[in-house]
Amino acid sequence: MEPLRIGIVGAGAIAQRNAKEAAASGAAKIAGVFDLNHKVARDMAKALSAPFFPSYDALLASSDVEAVLLSVPHYLHKPMTIEAASSGKHVLVEKPMANTLDEAREMIACCEQNHVQLTVNYSFRYLPKIQKARQLVQEGALGDITGIQIIAHQFKDRGYWSGARSNSPDDWRASKEKCGGGFLIMNVCHVIDYLYFVTGVKGARVYSEYATLGSPAEVEDIISVTARLSNGGIGSISASSIMRGADQAEERIWGTKGTLILDPDGLSFYSTRPIDGKRPGKMCRYTKFPNVSWTAEWVKGFVRAVREGTKPDISSQEGWDNLAFISAAYQSMEKGEPVEVAPFPASTSCGA
Amino acid sequence: MPEWLIKILLAVYTRIPPSLRPVLKEWFAKIVLRVEALVKRRQIVQGKRIEFLDFEIAHLVPFELLGPGPDEILVQAECSLISPGTERAVLCGLPGARRGFPYVPGYSTAGRVIKKGNAVKWVEIGDLVTGRIKHASYESVAANKVFKVPAGVTAEEACFIELGIIVLQGIRKAAIKPGEHVAVVGQGLIGQLANRLARLLMPASLIAVAPSRNRERLALLPGGADRYLSINEDPACVHALEADVVIEAVGTPQANVTAMHCARKGGRVVLLGSSRGLTRDWDVWNVSQKKHLTVIGAHISDMPEVDASPLRWTYEQEGRLFLELLHEGRLKVADLITWRAKPEECNAVYEVLAEGGRDHVGITFNWVCKER
Repeated sequence: MEPLRIGIVGAGAIAQRNAKEAAASGAAKIAGVFDLNHKVARDMAKALSAPFFPSYDALLASSDVEAVLLSVPHYLHKPMTIEAASSGKHVLVEKPMANTLDEAREMIACCEQNHVQLTVNYSFRYLPKIQKARQLVQEGALGDITGIQIIAHQFKDRGYWSGARSNSPDDWRASKEKCGGGFLIMNVCHVIDYLYFVTGVKGARVYSEYATLGSPAEVEDIISVTARLSNGGIGSISASSIMRGADQAEERIWGTKGTLILDPDGLSFYSTRPIDGKRPGKMCRYTKFPNVSWTAEWVKGFVRAVREGTKPDISSQEGWDNLAFISAAYQSMEKGEPVEVAPFPASTSCGA
Repeated sequence: MPEWLIKILLAVYTRIPPSLRPVLKEWFAKIVLRVEALVKRRQIVQGKRIEFLDFEIAHLVPFELLGPGPDEILVQAECSLISPGTERAVLCGLPGARRGFPYVPGYSTAGRVIKKGNAVKWVEIGDLVTGRIKHASYESVAANKVFKVPAGVTAEEACFIELGIIVLQGIRKAAIKPGEHVAVVGQGLIGQLANRLARLLMPASLIAVAPSRNRERLALLPGGADRYLSINEDPACVHALEADVVIEAVGTPQANVTAMHCARKGGRVVLLGSSRGLTRDWDVWNVSQKKHLTVIGAHISDMPEVDASPLRWTYEQEGRLFLELLHEGRLKVADLITWRAKPEECNAVYEVLAEGGRDHVGITFNWVCKER
């Protein structure tokens, strides 16, 4: 399969990582680097043995670039995607897909109109632990899913909000307009995505409370969500970026026949059925997984889709579904009432 | 084992972390079995058996047993039959059937004698026998507690023995006379066997009564019921039945009451199902007392060991009769089997059973049968 020639847009820490993993995947060739901070972009281009482009337009004008990988602040996802798609470039965009569903709708429509592929970086799906969890669920370890619980707590220091760790310090993460939201859209979105992937169940109706209680930001740093799932089950999220000294990261999925727990060190499951050669009625633990680059797998999957003309593993619909849930959670708090999660639109219109 | 030793072992055991206890228990059982084998000069046989590991969890697990003692035979199972009511009750922890886990279910199995003790005279190696044997590939049993299966009766038919005895003792207590109208409430395995055994007593009519029509086809097979009534479709249908004799073959308080509704004034109601649960919905006066009903308890646990009477035969007598009826071709049971499962499928089988098993009647485990 011919490597996809990708232009890297953004040269922050995540962009650097994405670019390195994409190049190492063997499925992509870095065809250029652009960032508003020319110095870091030049350094990155040099490290990747790729050309530096002084502007986004120049990168998009290059016939050597087939696709762009956008690792830029959230509010830039829509305009930069539309610009790329309009130039005939495929788009790999960081999560979340956009800040709002209206933006996402425009991005999807534009990519469709220009016959280019779009994918969102929900690459945690490719983690062997997540793949294993999905396999267990598909083999019937849990029966019918009845409940999903996400617990995600950590502490983000003041410097995080002003971009202290970034090579181009910026406070966009603290801005509702630029970031779209706080801990939910920035971090928990990954968890929501891979639980959708693992269970095949999505959020249907959402109730939420959120607040900003301990961070120098407009966006939420604590949120609680209760959701009715698409299959009738119940889900909940308890998340915050202001829990000091006691990080928590655990997801539980349970069903009529068992329970599965994902935590940072591995996964555990209990099933009434003999699954994966395990004795039923016993908690089984998996902690050893192959070392896989989830980003490289994401890029490989996308390149395959581009070359074969098929739908990417993580398509615009996955990006939409994730954003639709998150948007519903924010709206619920703002309206003070439950909000239905918007379904993927049957048709979209390009509003670029 | 002396009491002082038990006390010491228990004191040690309680100091062991709970996570290690199952493994230690397993090893302790293995050691005890080996000591017993040495002392009794008996072999250790490796087998597999079905165990309920917890509520609604069945699994096929390897186990060890002692070879046969002087009065025992080693039976290699060919076919075992699930007793749906009892096994489901234990599996789901229903009232009256709470047991500790792991629990080894099964009590109706046919198999070949592959080894026998020195004192066993009346069966030979290779004979097909049947009796109260668990769902296990091998079991050592007292030779005088099993029945020798007559020629021409298959293991698949013979494994119905225990359920056949359960039903026969109930039918006997019902004392059905030729020409009486009989109703059988509940069309699970017990109900279907009750249809067929009651039919042999020449009732004027035999009506099968059940909530749904799921089991109608089986109930109306030759040798079964004349008619089938669905309570779900017409809840009032039971009041018009006016049966002389009603066999209740479910075991729930609701079914007990339904059975009484089915009976005519002065009729007899035989409680054959193992009753579980309590009810506040029994209007004693209107449902039973006003109708002068005779209610007959008919549970297998009440069978006499000896001193049989016309209405109470011994377990052995009923067992012999059941096999004789199969041998003579007067009773057919194989067509009641709706699932011939491999033991390896036990988890799925009991999952279905735990959920009610409404699409099934007879479920057997075929221990040595080839793929069908």
